[in-house]
Amino acid sequence: MSSLDQLTLPQVAEQEARAPLVSARGLSKYFESRGGFLAQAKPPVKAVESVDLDIGRGEVLGVVGESGSGKSTLGRLILRLIEPTRGEVVFDGHRLQSLNAGEMRRFRRHMQMIFQDPFASLNARMTIGDALMEPLSLHRGLKGTAAREAVVALLEKVGLSGDHMKRYPRMFSGGQRQRIAIARALASNPSFIVADEPVSALDVSIQAEVLNLLQTLQAELDLTLMFISHDLSVVEAVTDRVMVLYLGRVMEIAFTDALYSKPRHPYTAALLQAAPGVAKSKRYILRGEIPSPSNPPSGCVFRTRCPFAIDDCAKVVPPLSKVGTEHYKACIRDDLDL
Amino acid sequence: MASKSMRMHWPVMLSPDPIKPLGQLQRPVLMVRDLKTHFFTEAGVVKAVNGVSLSVSEGETLAVVGESGSGKSVTGLTVMRLLSRTTARVVGGSIEFCDRNGKVVDVLGLSEAAMQRVRGHDIAMIFQDPMSSLNPVFTIGDQIAEPIRIHKGLDRRQAREQALDLLRQVGISDPEQRIDNYPHQLSGGMRQRVMIAVALACDPRLLIADEPTTALDVTIQAQIIALLKRLQGERRMAMIFVTHDLKLVDEIADRVAVMYASQVVEEGPVKTVLARPRHPYTRALLDCIPSRRDASGGRRKLRPIPGTLPNPLSPPLGCRFHSRCAFAAERCKAIEPALEAVGEDHVTRCLRWKEIEL
Repeated sequence: MSSLDQLTLPQVAEQEARAPLVSARGLSKYFESRGGFLAQAKPPVKAVESVDLDIGRGEVLGVVGESGSGKSTLGRLILRLIEPTRGEVVFDGHRLQSLNAGEMRRFRRHMQMIFQDPFASLNARMTIGDALMEPLSLHRGLKGTAAREAVVALLEKVGLSGDHMKRYPRMFSGGQRQRIAIARALASNPSFIVADEPVSALDVSIQAEVLNLLQTLQAELDLTLMFISHDLSVVEAVTDRVMVLYLGRVMEIAFTDALYSKPRHPYTAALLQAAPGVAKSKRYILRGEIPSPSNPPSGCVFRTRCPFAIDDCAKVVPPLSKVGTEHYKACIRDDLDL
Repeated sequence: MASKSMRMHWPVMLSPDPIKPLGQLQRPVLMVRDLKTHFFTEAGVVKAVNGVSLSVSEGETLAVVGESGSGKSVTGLTVMRLLSRTTARVVGGSIEFCDRNGKVVDVLGLSEAAMQRVRGHDIAMIFQDPMSSLNPVFTIGDQIAEPIRIHKGLDRRQAREQALDLLRQVGISDPEQRIDNYPHQLSGGMRQRVMIAVALACDPRLLIADEPTTALDVTIQAQIIALLKRLQGERRMAMIFVTHDLKLVDEIADRVAVMYASQVVEEGPVKTVLARPRHPYTRALLDCIPSRRDASGGRRKLRPIPGTLPNPLSPPLGCRFHSRCAFAAERCKAIEPALEAVGEDHVTRCLRWKEIEL
């Protein structure tokens, strides 16, 4: 174990440069069901269970998994849009859970979110100009001409023009609306953006445009991105590292190339094989569906659908173990050729 | 009931368009010729389907691919005659269907009552969102039994038996218990299985599947695709698979028709079209698909299609794709290309197909 004082100066500098922008430790979220009139309280839905993660500055981390795997809940937890049941998030050295409401509000300018459906996240009665003006005055105190100029600059940054300011969201196509949502997220000059299925509702040609835009902006502004998607080919194209979630738990996390070329967890392998257009060597179709998160299987949560499950899988919750450089998997079977 | 002597076979027609009837072994089940479905709106006439010809044979799957607004769903809905007659009108073309007795039916000429006997019986359809296609106040058993009782005249008990059997065939576990469930008690994947059971209840000759897996997770999508392929093989059913996802086409279809701005721009065997597209739009669509990194490990920049879909109220003159096409020449702006044969069972709607390398 090397402690800080044993490192030489350049090493310290390197250590700091590589310090993650966002970290989470033991992050869990249980949704309680209250049990209404005549209805019995059900066990809580364990949406996210003990997730640790670090996202480096300027890194694009992909989060993949089926619906119900907890990927959107994780995104909201990271931004503290919802409170965790356990665990904490550290953003740029600040423990988010220790900030009070006012501090948190001011802090939000550093972290933004882009959603799947921009039509639902834009106010239908607000012109695009007003929608963009709001964060500019709120977070950056811009008013009047300065604010208008900033709006035009933002619109141009996302490939639209200042002429669009006076228009309403319904007057735009899906791809343009997603550009507006991106412009709005960028308005406060954030360093971190959670993009939750940002291109899932778009046609493939528009999807390519928006992905290119996100990548250009990410590089230009040195943004740190958490890219949530169910589309494995999109994630492969835009991310540096990928985290695979199943029933709220991390199954595998690795550099994108390593994960796609040599998955080490049976669930990752199954996901890749199910994805259309991915070359199949050994094809097996995962049987059944994701179990209820209020009653997850004991031991490894994936064991009920895993073709390689053995008796021990029901007994122990597999820890994330290192299998390569920055490559971790939560599976007790080391003898698999996936 | 049509007796054996009344049986007619599909006429061998010499068609002016290049979609030829297939070999004798494969009888076309559906033949759509030069179909024009237009919507009469306050803003003007939207020619949603404008001159589409398609055919699909027994045991064959034809994928119809296109982006939103290309007319792929309207084509399916026109075949099913499910469009509202107040706004949508078929202004040209024909739809011929070969029923289970080998009789050729003019779908557009049928009375509404006669069409009701075809719909759900000879031709069935499944949609993207099973929740909005299933009735929330009836059990799934009732909904599967309904077409059987209507079209096959079986009584309640017999129909329930068949419904159980269908649930088993579509891979629902505990069918005896599930049959009395309501749609909200099922997951999305199970609902789509139920929809497939409803669609297949009367053993249709043709299944039109309109984005049936778009709302599903990849693992469930893989299950549904495998299920559709198995059932189709067992029943020798013809299938039209409407999708926006070119990656899926390779998994499920034998032939593919690519639609752009209300027209088919390319059609051919899947392997040929994907490996060697002959229309610039097909090429462009393939280039938009995020794919594995290139050999050097670097990120491949996606190549979006420049520009936007033309306004359906006023499509451009000449080739509809010319303003977005990297290969457009001056004549593409003026001359509307016809479908031309470029190879075995392979057609493209491009003036320049001979001179460009895609």
